[in-house]
Amino acid sequence: MNSKDKPRRKRRNRWVFVGLVPFAIMVLAFQLAPVLSMISGSFRPDVGSGFTLHNYYTALHSPFYLKAIKNSLLISAYSSLIGIVVGLVCAYSVTRFSPAIRDRLLMLSNMTSNFAGVPLAFAYIILLGANGVFTLLFRQWGWSAFADFNLYSWSGLILVYVYFQIPLSMLLLYPAYYGIREQWKEAASLLGASSWQFWRTVGLPILAPSAFGTLGILFANAMGAYATAYALVGGNYNLLVIRIGSLVAGDVTNQPNLGSALAVLLAVSTLLAVFLNHWMTKRAAKYLTSGEGVG
Amino acid sequence: MSAYLDLRHISKTYAQTRVLDDVNLQAAEGELVTLLGPSGCGKSTLLRCIAGLTDLDGGSITLRQKDLTQLPPRAREVGMVFQSYALFPNLTAGENVEYGLRMNGQSKRERAKRAEALLALVDLEAKRDAYPHQLSGGQQQRIALARSLAVEPKLLLLDEPLSALDAQIRKNLRTEIREIQKRLNMTTLFVTHDQEEALTMSDRVCIMNRGKIVQQGDPETIYTKPETEFVARFMGSYNVLTRQEALRLFERVDGTADSFALRPESVKLLEADDDRIDGNSGRKVAEGTVHAVSILGTIVRYAIDVSGVRLTVDRLNDGRLIGMNVGRSVRLSVDPAQLLSLDKEGA
Amino acid sequence: MTEKPRAGWGHVSLQVLLLVYLLLPLAATGLYAFAKNWQNTLLPKQWTLEWFNAMFTDMRFFIALWNSFYLCAISVALSLVVMLPAVFVLTVYFPKWESFMKGIVVLPYAVPGVVAAVGLIRTYSSGPIEIAGTAYLLIGAYFVAVLPYMYQGLRNSMLTVSAPELMQAAELLGAKPIKAFLTVVFPNILPGVMISTLLSFSVLFGEFVLTNMLVGAHIPTIQVYLYQRSGESGHLSSAIGITYFVFILLLSMVLLKLGRRLNRGTRP
Repeated sequence: MNSKDKPRRKRRNRWVFVGLVPFAIMVLAFQLAPVLSMISGSFRPDVGSGFTLHNYYTALHSPFYLKAIKNSLLISAYSSLIGIVVGLVCAYSVTRFSPAIRDRLLMLSNMTSNFAGVPLAFAYIILLGANGVFTLLFRQWGWSAFADFNLYSWSGLILVYVYFQIPLSMLLLYPAYYGIREQWKEAASLLGASSWQFWRTVGLPILAPSAFGTLGILFANAMGAYATAYALVGGNYNLLVIRIGSLVAGDVTNQPNLGSALAVLLAVSTLLAVFLNHWMTKRAAKYLTSGEGVG
Repeated sequence: MSAYLDLRHISKTYAQTRVLDDVNLQAAEGELVTLLGPSGCGKSTLLRCIAGLTDLDGGSITLRQKDLTQLPPRAREVGMVFQSYALFPNLTAGENVEYGLRMNGQSKRERAKRAEALLALVDLEAKRDAYPHQLSGGQQQRIALARSLAVEPKLLLLDEPLSALDAQIRKNLRTEIREIQKRLNMTTLFVTHDQEEALTMSDRVCIMNRGKIVQQGDPETIYTKPETEFVARFMGSYNVLTRQEALRLFERVDGTADSFALRPESVKLLEADDDRIDGNSGRKVAEGTVHAVSILGTIVRYAIDVSGVRLTVDRLNDGRLIGMNVGRSVRLSVDPAQLLSLDKEGA
Repeated sequence: MTEKPRAGWGHVSLQVLLLVYLLLPLAATGLYAFAKNWQNTLLPKQWTLEWFNAMFTDMRFFIALWNSFYLCAISVALSLVVMLPAVFVLTVYFPKWESFMKGIVVLPYAVPGVVAAVGLIRTYSSGPIEIAGTAYLLIGAYFVAVLPYMYQGLRNSMLTVSAPELMQAAELLGAKPIKAFLTVVFPNILPGVMISTLLSFSVLFGEFVLTNMLVGAHIPTIQVYLYQRSGESGHLSSAIGITYFVFILLLSMVLLKLGRRLNRGTRP
């Protein structure tokens, strides 16, 4: 009799699969197929046919592409490190305000994160570009410290990247501070710990997974940031995203398979970074839920 | 011949764990049967299987001679109240109660009349137009009860309906549910992990452990005659003794069981100069040392070491034994007739 | 019991500094859009509306606006039609597939737009379905781009209202699954659906990478238009940028309102 009910029940629930079909088709067509095509393309020569590792060889040996990879990694690393430090400090500071003010502050900071990509690059050009308002003002006031600053260079890119990293960093970090309960601080101070000792021995270790996880997200975010860089420096600065874009969709040099190889390398770096986040989030969750798991 | 509700050989496995292991259970019409057990014993799964919310791996469910096993939930004529109420937040209390009738295609007039009667039954007529989030937890659960009763189910399933509520509300609501159940003569399966709840509400209690019903009976039997070590431990502060421990206390025990239960009330503490005790009642007198004393309101509970066995002993808190401090030597008497043999199974 | 948070002067000045830093580019864009001439002074000397005037008389602006609007609207509508049943079925009937689904859905988040564009161009510039450079391809790409937002938003709202339990309760009361969905699940997740929709819309409205690489100048959206004109007049692009920003701002305010309503409505 038991073999009789099982098929019957299955049939009754079969209709629900219909709801998944369009989803599966869309994901297959526009997500999985492109990824597979890109990976297979990265192993094919741009001229001729067959299997080759030449694209990866070029990507990792040509000084030109190597420089692009290095630039991207460095800019991402620096901007996310600065982003995380500023984020940690500002997120903590935000938790010290009353909920009403706190929410306003966070809302304002989130609002500015809409201001990214082309408009952001553009705003910085107005402020600090060759004829930017501040550039001219500083020159007029004779502030020589800023005379060498060039927005369209390494330091300019870092400046703009940090701008869009900070709100994201704050948004991701500030909930972690609420994981640190006021009672823990009270308990620590009753046990004789100073505020600094509490943060060093309890607070920061608990924050650490969240901070590293956020670092992963910021890094991936910077590695993949295209619009800002494209609008700010165009083809003039050697970045991985810019190279990929011009290899695949460029008018002059069209080498889609080399572009694919570079894209695979970029994807590997961001996937690793996001994986770091995933792994750290799990650890953070372990800390913060252990109290409720008992019973 | 068949019972009103008849569950036979129910089994269910989740990822290699036998959640329900050949469960058999019958209920008579109008009976309130409680499934009692620790969390994870399978009691809620059993309820969900009866409702059709979880598939069975094997076995059959018969309600009033009708085989439910293959029916979808909506055709089973079974009502269910969830621990989390599961009221529809977009509908008012009245609309929630009417929902099942609306699905059956009853007219607006009939629905309103029936809903009014049910709201009256749970004493919430005034809250007809309130939304669930405007009601207290206890009120929400009463609406949920009214909602499941509105369609006149042939069987009512209550899945820990009180465990999300405060202690006082829980006590009131449990009396109320029992009264309504009796008035409507509604056959009910009630799932709980609270012994007191089970003992006060039920016609019959089924104790479950690891997917099996380990003992069933009326509340008094369940409380006074635990058959297994698991039931003895789960039902309260029974002293569970190994055979060696029992022999140390009594020198001689009946039966071949490996473990025994001794109710804490059945051990008598003797006054210091109380010498007359009954040579002929069969009670044993023993010497012991008080290890701990705790006052539980009307009862004082002692932990007393007697020949290497730690016994829990309860006395009425009548103020006479105030001087019984930790470390004091005491004499106590135990009755071999009160010693219950336990089945190791289910420990 | 919780102590009143104490924000000392240090914290206040830190937040003020942060806000100045974050708002400065915005303010600059805003001022520039209204400035007749702005050089060598802290604030512009003369104000004008001529840049907005120029923007509103430029046909290309309206074409770009329309392109953005219809592409986003179609993509979001498609996403909703596809995702609503899928997320519902997954949350209610196959909760075990959750982690697998999360993997699929997080992928667009982890894979940068450039990479996605490379794959899409390769797949669709030749072969049986040749739709490179068309709106179809862009809509497909947009669908994937908003996948994480749609999935999370819909799933969260279904879990907030405990859709699986509501479905069970409704089915026990005699409702068929589709009817149960329409009467008790959908009305309750409606605010969540609207939030996901608007959020996805605003994400796509600001999209540049995919648009630029997949269709570029063929179908200029508002972002591409802004990029094209930024080489010409700084003041004009500021006017476009600030208009775009105000629009997104209004959208997020609506989102915020809806979010509050969603939370209030489902409190037990």
